[in-house]
Amino acid sequence: MRAFLFALLLGASTIINTPVSAAAISPELSGRTEQGLKIEIYSSLSPLLINRIHSWHIRILDLNNLAVSVEQLTIIGGMPEHDHGLPTQPQITARLENGDYLLEGVRFHMPGKWRLVVTMNREGEDDQAVIEFQL
Amino acid sequence: MKKLLSIVVVLVFFAVMAWNFAAPPIPSQWSEEQQALISSLSLAKLPPLADDPSNRVADNPLAAELGQRLYFDTRLSSNNSVACASCHNPELMFTDGLSLAMGLAIGPRHTPSLVGLSYSPWFYWDGRKDSQWAQALAPLEASHEHATDRVQLLHLLASDSVYTEMYAQLFGPLPTVLNLPGSASPLGDSRQQTAWNNMDEGSQRTVSRFFSNLGKAIAAYERKIVPGTSRFDEYAEQLINSSATQQGDLLSNTEIAGLNLFIGKAQCVSCHNSPLFTNNEFHNTGVLAVSGQLPTMGRYEGIRTARNDPFNCLGEFSDASPQQCIELRFARDENDLVGALKTPTLRNVTLTAPYMHGGQMASLTEVIKHYNDAPTSMLSHNEAKPLGLRAVERRQLESFLYTLTAPLATAEKWLSAPAD
Repeated sequence: MRAFLFALLLGASTIINTPVSAAAISPELSGRTEQGLKIEIYSSLSPLLINRIHSWHIRILDLNNLAVSVEQLTIIGGMPEHDHGLPTQPQITARLENGDYLLEGVRFHMPGKWRLVVTMNREGEDDQAVIEFQL
Repeated sequence: MKKLLSIVVVLVFFAVMAWNFAAPPIPSQWSEEQQALISSLSLAKLPPLADDPSNRVADNPLAAELGQRLYFDTRLSSNNSVACASCHNPELMFTDGLSLAMGLAIGPRHTPSLVGLSYSPWFYWDGRKDSQWAQALAPLEASHEHATDRVQLLHLLASDSVYTEMYAQLFGPLPTVLNLPGSASPLGDSRQQTAWNNMDEGSQRTVSRFFSNLGKAIAAYERKIVPGTSRFDEYAEQLINSSATQQGDLLSNTEIAGLNLFIGKAQCVSCHNSPLFTNNEFHNTGVLAVSGQLPTMGRYEGIRTARNDPFNCLGEFSDASPQQCIELRFARDENDLVGALKTPTLRNVTLTAPYMHGGQMASLTEVIKHYNDAPTSMLSHNEAKPLGLRAVERRQLESFLYTLTAPLATAEKWLSAPAD
């Protein structure tokens, strides 16, 4: 798989446990990391469609459903069956008040199976989640 | 023994012929996944054209009228014979029927259709422009196209009372031409560039602002050029209530088989997707370089050019805030874009021969053969893989493409020069 990569170095290693208000909408995509963190992705475009640029809120929750902060957040995405990545280069541009990470510039350009690998570093330890979905 | 051998040869001959030319039966029902894919291609699923925040007159009716007037006006060229419509001819689905575009001289690229192009975030085969208005400016000053320049154009509009009035209503009074040279541009020949460099910075910006407004008016007109409902679309709409592949006589068995290949074995839908049959993205599909030219660097170079374009979304002549320039800010520029060119629409593709970025292929038969073979790319790698389509399947696929042909949905009044 030709990978697409973006990374965010958050610098400070402090962990903040910010309660996430109960969301009125369900996440567009979700997954769990190897160490049990929950990843929830809320999309400005719902349902997800190809050829439409949009943004995501990425929420990382611990076992107590509290938002966690990470020092580094990396997402590799692409179509495993087509050997290519995303057509754009999305970036995390902000950390929102509720602890979500804002990812801008997301677009998919082909129907089929997509795979995201969300990698993070938290308290010096690497962790990752694989999220697959069909478009 | 000899007789047995003859029988074997005959049997092998018939087997090969049958494999190549016998049409397999088409399925009686589409699967749920196939139905969804077909539906996603229907023109009924085309969303309304999104705003262009970089062009505040994009949907202004008067701007479209001014743009139409400019689009068909051959005075917008150094020899008074070339208009936008010369290459993007409405009678040929806004193409020219030539391999390479012909303005004042032969250009390096094949003229793409403008039908539905306003939906694209990128323009030119290599995506070196990020708005339709910025694209519209470049041919006006290109020496092989209109070969005029922004100062000459200002003189032209100032000398025409209709243009002067329309421009003023949209953008305010035309800048004064007093103290300006007759011809000047930062992109022209040495004479034009010298004249441009002799202008003060304020005049340069005023002229470039005027020039950008011409592009914005032309883009407002081009946003009217949209495809119409084809036989395929009627078929796709029938499928909403039924999964049967046969829908009366809307599509023939051959065309249905072609559709089945299009969304399946032939993998066309990977890139030629959504209601405009294009993802407006960039792919290297191993098309040979244009004869006499080096292979193009494609999108790899195109995105770099777009970022440096003074008329891009982030530039001073754009009406957008930086936050609104999403496509430009988050565009990829990696090495795998070497040789990658934009996927064209397949709407009305049977009327827009020849094909590819240099018009290298005269027919759809050749194009389909190219994708079936998936040859090695001259530069970087061909994303496509050989398809293994049989002769009968290639013909079915081509038949399907004919179901995408339909008159435009554009009102008749936009398809020719405005009546005075």
